[in-house]
Amino acid sequence: MNKEQFLTSLEKGLKKLPHEEREDIMHDFEEHFFNGSADGKTEEQISESLGSPKQIAKELVATSHIEKMEATASTANIFRAVWAVVGLGFFNFIIVFGPFAALLGFILAGWITGVSFVASPLLILVTLIVNLGTFEFFDMFFSIMLCGIGLFIAMGMLYVTKVLTTLFVRYLKYNVSLVKGGLKHD
Amino acid sequence: MNIQFKKGALELCVLALLYKQDRYGYEIVQKISDQIVISEGSVYPLLRRLKKEGYLTTYLQESKEGPSRKYYRLTDQGRDHLHVLNEEWKQFSEGVNQLIKEGDFNE
Repeated sequence: MNKEQFLTSLEKGLKKLPHEEREDIMHDFEEHFFNGSADGKTEEQISESLGSPKQIAKELVATSHIEKMEATASTANIFRAVWAVVGLGFFNFIIVFGPFAALLGFILAGWITGVSFVASPLLILVTLIVNLGTFEFFDMFFSIMLCGIGLFIAMGMLYVTKVLTTLFVRYLKYNVSLVKGGLKHD
Repeated sequence: MNIQFKKGALELCVLALLYKQDRYGYEIVQKISDQIVISEGSVYPLLRRLKKEGYLTTYLQESKEGPSRKYYRLTDQGRDHLHVLNEEWKQFSEGVNQLIKEGDFNE
């Protein structure tokens, strides 16, 4: 691979990064090639020791996504970061995707329980309209109680979601520092 | 050597190289690859990450020939981090050395 092929492939992998950051990275590698040539190496030798431009791009994109996720931990940002880290390799897939799926399941289950408890009085209303005359006081009180419990669960989940998100962001970051900075991809 | 080992160590190597003097990217990469087999390109993502985490700063300096060079400098925070990593590394390598010695297969 010569300099141009290397840089083109790298730039292609960095498409998703902001323009300014991409330019900065490209400049680093152009500088590297220049210094390497001044050192008497051929373009092929330099790109050979640099390694795969695709893998380098993946690492840079993953780091950038994690950074964004730290700034604003929106669902979309978290998904993007998880996806980018998982894409780094099989090892990351195992140690990132497993915990992520488990956490996601737990949080979803909690919210569904909370929300459906809160909504249970609506169910009474619906049965009331559909089947006139089957109104039972027991149903009403029970659903009001469920509604109360649901509110507590929802409040709890708000807190739990926040804490788990923070922890998971930290875990992802740790993961990247552990698995990347990468070496020969052998 | 095992990939995981080297990845952790690479961060320590970069910080240590910058302890006494500022260096530019190519110089850092060469210094490391003189000693350890790495894919050189991955040093750059690491440098960016260390900068984002506040351990390094960069500045551009004109060079006699060719494009200006980006120099990396250790921040105070980076210095502290280097000491922490160095301690960890010492404990780790002493532990490994001790276990190898006890294994007693090197005679």
